[in-house]
Amino acid sequence: MSNTEINEIEQLANQEYKYGFVTDIDADTFPPGLNEDVVRALSAKKEEPEWMLELRLKAYRQWLKMVEPQWPNVNYPPVDFQAISYYSAPKQKKKLNSLDEVDPEILSAFAKLGIPLAEQKILANVAVDAVFDSVSVATTYKAKLNEMGIIFCSMSEAIREHGDLVKKYLGSVVPAADNYYSALNAAVFSDGSFVYIPKGVRCPMELSTYFRINAANTGQFERTLIIADDYSYVSYLEGCTAPMRDENQLHAAVVELIAMDNAQIKYSTIQNWYAGDKNGKGGIYNFVTKRGNCKGVNSKISWTQVETGSAITWKYPSCLLTGDNSIGEFYSVAVTNNHQQADTGTKMIHIGKNTKSTIVSKGISAGFSNNTYRGLVRIGKKATNARNYSQCDSLLIGDKCGAHTFPYLEVSNPGAIVEHEATTSKIGADQIFYLNQRGLATEDAVSMIVNGYCKEVFKELPMEFAVEATKLLSISLEGSVG
Amino acid sequence: MIEIKNLKVAIDGKEILKGVNLTVKPGEVHAIMGPNGSGKSTLAQVLAGKEEYEVLEGSVTFNGKDLFELKAEDRAREGMFLAFQYPIEIPGVSNVNLLKTAVNEIKKYRGEEQIHALDFLKMIKEKMKLVEMPQDLLNRSGERRFFRW
Ligand SMILES: Nc1ncnc2c1ncn2[C@@H]1O[C@H](COP(=O)(O)OP(=O)(O)OP(=O)(O)O)[C@@H](O)[C@H]1O
Ligand SMILES: [Mg+2]
Repeated sequence: MSNTEINEIEQLANQEYKYGFVTDIDADTFPPGLNEDVVRALSAKKEEPEWMLELRLKAYRQWLKMVEPQWPNVNYPPVDFQAISYYSAPKQKKKLNSLDEVDPEILSAFAKLGIPLAEQKILANVAVDAVFDSVSVATTYKAKLNEMGIIFCSMSEAIREHGDLVKKYLGSVVPAADNYYSALNAAVFSDGSFVYIPKGVRCPMELSTYFRINAANTGQFERTLIIADDYSYVSYLEGCTAPMRDENQLHAAVVELIAMDNAQIKYSTIQNWYAGDKNGKGGIYNFVTKRGNCKGVNSKISWTQVETGSAITWKYPSCLLTGDNSIGEFYSVAVTNNHQQADTGTKMIHIGKNTKSTIVSKGISAGFSNNTYRGLVRIGKKATNARNYSQCDSLLIGDKCGAHTFPYLEVSNPGAIVEHEATTSKIGADQIFYLNQRGLATEDAVSMIVNGYCKEVFKELPMEFAVEATKLLSISLEGSVG
Repeated sequence: MIEIKNLKVAIDGKEILKGVNLTVKPGEVHAIMGPNGSGKSTLAQVLAGKEEYEVLEGSVTFNGKDLFELKAEDRAREGMFLAFQYPIEIPGVSNVNLLKTAVNEIKKYRGEEQIHALDFLKMIKEKMKLVEMPQDLLNRSGERRFFRW
């Protein structure tokens, strides 16, 4: 590609992050630092039952014995866990009874993000839980969902009101001791969403959580638990943004999904945490553990993710295919630009018979970024007739970025069929010229090429999200064309 | 309509076009012939705005405008169309989507109203019938088989 083209792609990639504003609210924030007293104080703040505090303390003690993983293909200075505040919540007078009582500053912050929380104005058919720093500030459409027996609320509320369900399933898919960040999360998670879909119920609307980091020097540790009982269905969406700050901020979430017999969970993420500036200063460290258990027969879990933000992403939404005939899917678009680093992929663990999994991963690297796909397909001894299909593509924009693919395969059942395809391509000057010659400006040409490349993943997204993803993609690549 | 005067063009420092003169008036059809490697494609690509070529000398006016002042996409929007000797593939982008985007870009440039997807589909299907093109060409793109269990 010529130099002017490279410049144009680069400009395309460098468009400003428009979610970088800070909301000025009165917050109740813990001083930085982490010890058992902080864990206790956090639990007390949330008026948690004793068993929850015990779980937290156990996880905390576990975490103290663990070390940060070094194997991901990312580089960053060590995180000072004592410099982080583990709780920050907008000050609110009392318990909120309705949306009208939410601080107008917070409502307007979400409105700026395009997430209106007033129910009548909400996108038809999307119920939203909004998490601002450490707490959930509003959950919409609750009453309507309640009538069907669906529980959709903040994790804090679930711990108080639906203790039995939480106790039974929290940590059942991602145990605290699973990894360094899951242990930390289990000790200090502040809020998140809880979903329970009863037997035979098809959730009539998309459930959505919108995570917003606002306060400086705080970590966000949210925890999400979704349980789909027999013959139920739910589609869940997750979106995230944060202000632009020069310091790095830590986000270490844990998401657990459980699908019972014949149940189906579709989980979609658009991750657009602040990625840092052009020179790699600031941005979110996104260290997340997401795992679903296809516990029941014929169950199905699909992960779809569009990862455009964060300075560093370390994330492997995975499926345990426990039930016979269960299905796991992973569709991913991961975009890195400037100095972003992403090490992401999935694990498909085939345990039951006739289990099937599909992996479609599309990496896009621009600028000086590094984009790694890391995936594991494990076929257990008893998983007769298991099948997996994996497709891992990398698209490079410019010549200073990197794309890496680490597919791991462990097959212990001789009857398994495992297929893997991988491609690496570059956006060619010829493709851009061809589209220029058809009247498209270079920026639009790149956007068309990239969207075509991501099509297989985007079509898995719910409609409104697909539109957002398309826009987001052109924004994160703005200025990257070479 | 198009006026090429003493056009000299080089690629990689090698002079390919050595002073081309050509005037084309509206409605005229011209065929440029010559042996392989004589520079026919080079001329077409330079007119369309491909960057690798270096214009050493000469001028081209197109619809009264200095062609070399226009970006490739603006030349296209002005009405310059290049049929590619070796067509380029854009994986995952269907023909109909590409055509619609191209038409709308040109309409935007000319200050005309955008054509809606459904109207576009109707129009293009009619045109395809005229030239007896198979309709399945529309949704085709350089796409791999899509995989689903
Ligand atoms: N990208 C390039 N880099 C270097 N040399 C080139 C490039 N493109 C064309 N040339 C050279 O320029 C000359 C003219 O090529 P061009 O493709 O314009 O000829 P043509 O008349 O279109 O030939 P054909 O009849 O084979 O299509 C040839 O000598 C060719 O090798
Ligand atoms: Mg030729």
